[in-house]
Amino acid sequence: MYLTKEQENVLNGENGEALAKLMHLLVKIGEVNNANELIPIQSAQIAGVSYYTVGDAIFSFFKLLSKDNVKVKVPSWLNPAGMDREKWKEMNIEDNFVEKQFKIIQEYSKMGIEETLTCTPYLIGYEPAYGDHLAWSESSAVVIANSFFGARTNREGGPSSLAAALIGLTPNYGLHLIENRQPRVLVDVNTDINSLSDFSAMGYWYGSNYGGSIPIFENIKRLNLDEAKMLASAMAASGSVPIYHIQNITPEAKNVNLSEMDETVIFTDKDLKKVYEHFNQISENVELVAIGCPHASIDDLNMIRSSIKDNRLKDGIEFWVFTSKKLASTEDAAAVIAELEDKGLKIYTETCMVVSPAVRKNYRNIITNSAKASFYLTKEDRTNVNLLSIGEIMEVVVE
Amino acid sequence: MRQISIRTIVEGKVEGKAIVSTTPISFLGGVDATTGKITDPENILFGESIKDKIFVFPEGQGSTVGSYVIYGLSINNVAPLAMIANQAETIVIAGAVLAEIPLVDQPDENILESIKSGDIVNIDTSKGIIIIK
Repeated sequence: MYLTKEQENVLNGENGEALAKLMHLLVKIGEVNNANELIPIQSAQIAGVSYYTVGDAIFSFFKLLSKDNVKVKVPSWLNPAGMDREKWKEMNIEDNFVEKQFKIIQEYSKMGIEETLTCTPYLIGYEPAYGDHLAWSESSAVVIANSFFGARTNREGGPSSLAAALIGLTPNYGLHLIENRQPRVLVDVNTDINSLSDFSAMGYWYGSNYGGSIPIFENIKRLNLDEAKMLASAMAASGSVPIYHIQNITPEAKNVNLSEMDETVIFTDKDLKKVYEHFNQISENVELVAIGCPHASIDDLNMIRSSIKDNRLKDGIEFWVFTSKKLASTEDAAAVIAELEDKGLKIYTETCMVVSPAVRKNYRNIITNSAKASFYLTKEDRTNVNLLSIGEIMEVVVE
Repeated sequence: MRQISIRTIVEGKVEGKAIVSTTPISFLGGVDATTGKITDPENILFGESIKDKIFVFPEGQGSTVGSYVIYGLSINNVAPLAMIANQAETIVIAGAVLAEIPLVDQPDENILESIKSGDIVNIDTSKGIIIIK
C-alpha cells in the first residue's frame, strides 16, 4: 500500500507510540484488503461505548492513548452508552457500572469526540453528503450512510473507526470503491410493506437468508428515513449487509444494471408472516414495551403520541422509548415527550435496549417494533419478544 | 515434521505449544483479558489458558471491541505467543497489531486438521512458513 512521507513518519513513531499503533492498524487492515492507499474521511462514528458491551479491557487501551494525548482529526461521534446519564437510578443501574460508564465517556471526550451517544447521528444534523468517505461503526448507521445518503463507509469496528478518527484517514477498499457497491441479489417485493415493523421484518428476512450479498429491492413505492433505518438495522444485524439499493428511490440505484444479478428472489406475504411468527414468543405477562432501535426520530415520537390517543398504559406494563439527548432537547420533541411522560411512558436518552443491561437483566417478556432488537434480545435464552407494529402494540398495552 | 505456508499479518519468530479452538473465537465475552482463560462455556477450551501458547482458531467472530480484549491480554502479560487463523478478520488483525502479537493466516491447508493442542509449532514469518514438530 502506498504511504506518503508524512504517513510513513507517523507509522515510524515520530508523533508518538499511540498514533504509530493506530496507523499500523489502518495499514494492516488496508494491506489485508488490498487497499492501494489511505484516504481522508469526513467523519467517524465510534462504537464500543457501553460498559455492558466493552467491559474492562478498553481501559488499558485508553491508557495508551492518553499517554500521547491524542485528538480526533475529523468530527467524531459516539454510539449509545449502557445507561441514561441522568436517569440511571430509575433504570436500576448498579453503582460500579455507572462509575465505569462515566469514565469511558470521559476518555472518549478527552480525545475530542462529541458525546452524541446515539446510533442515529443522521437524525441530529450529522447527515453525510453523497460521495463522502466515512469511518462509521454502528452497523445500522453504516447501511443508512451508504444506502440512503450515498456516502461511503465500510462496516468499521470500534477500534478501526477510532483509529480512523484519530488519524483522519481510512484504507481505500470495500465500500469506498464504486465496483464493490453493486447489488448481486434482486428482491421483488411482492407484498404490502406498510408499518415500520414490516420494513424491519423484511430487513431481517433478507439478512438471515442472503446476508453476504448486496440487494436491490424493486416494487417499493416509498421510503422515508424512518422506514430506511428499520430496514437497514435489521439486515445489518441478521446478516452483514453494508448497503442496499431500492429502485427509483435510493441515490445509487440508477447506476445498477439489473441484468447483472446473481439471483432474483421474491419477498412474499408468507416470508413476512414467518418473521413475525418467529418473534411471537409471549402469550401473557407482557412486562415492557421497548421502542427506539434505532433511536427514535421526531416522527417516531409523534406517531407513538398519536397512536396512544387518549388512552393510558395498563397497570404493570412499562413503556420505554429510546432516543438521543440532542433530539429530545429540541423544542418540538420536548413537547411530545412531556405528553408521553404524562401518560406513563418513560423516555431514555443516550442508551438503548440492545446495549443497556437495564432491559435484559430486569425484563423477560418484551414487545418491540424492531427486528434488530428482537434478534439481539432473544440471543439470551431467558428473554422472549413479540415483534409488532406500533398500532398493534397499543392494542395490547393501553386501556 | 511438517511445513505449511502462511500469509503474514503481524511479523514474528516464535516457537511454542499449540492450543486449538476448533470453533470461531469471540474474544469479547469468550476470553478473560486478565487471566488469558477461555470463558465461553461452548468452547472446547473452556477454562484453559492461552497464555504463552500458540493460539490456533478458524476465525474471529462477535463484537469488534474484541480487539481491546486482545490488547488487554498483552498488557496483563497473559497473551498468547502468536496466533494462527484459517482466516483473520478485522477484530483479530486490529487486536494483534495493537498487542504486537505475531499473527498469520491463510495456511495452504486447513489448520484445524494439521495442528492439535499440545503440538510444538514454530512460526517464522520472514520465511512465510510454520513448522509443526
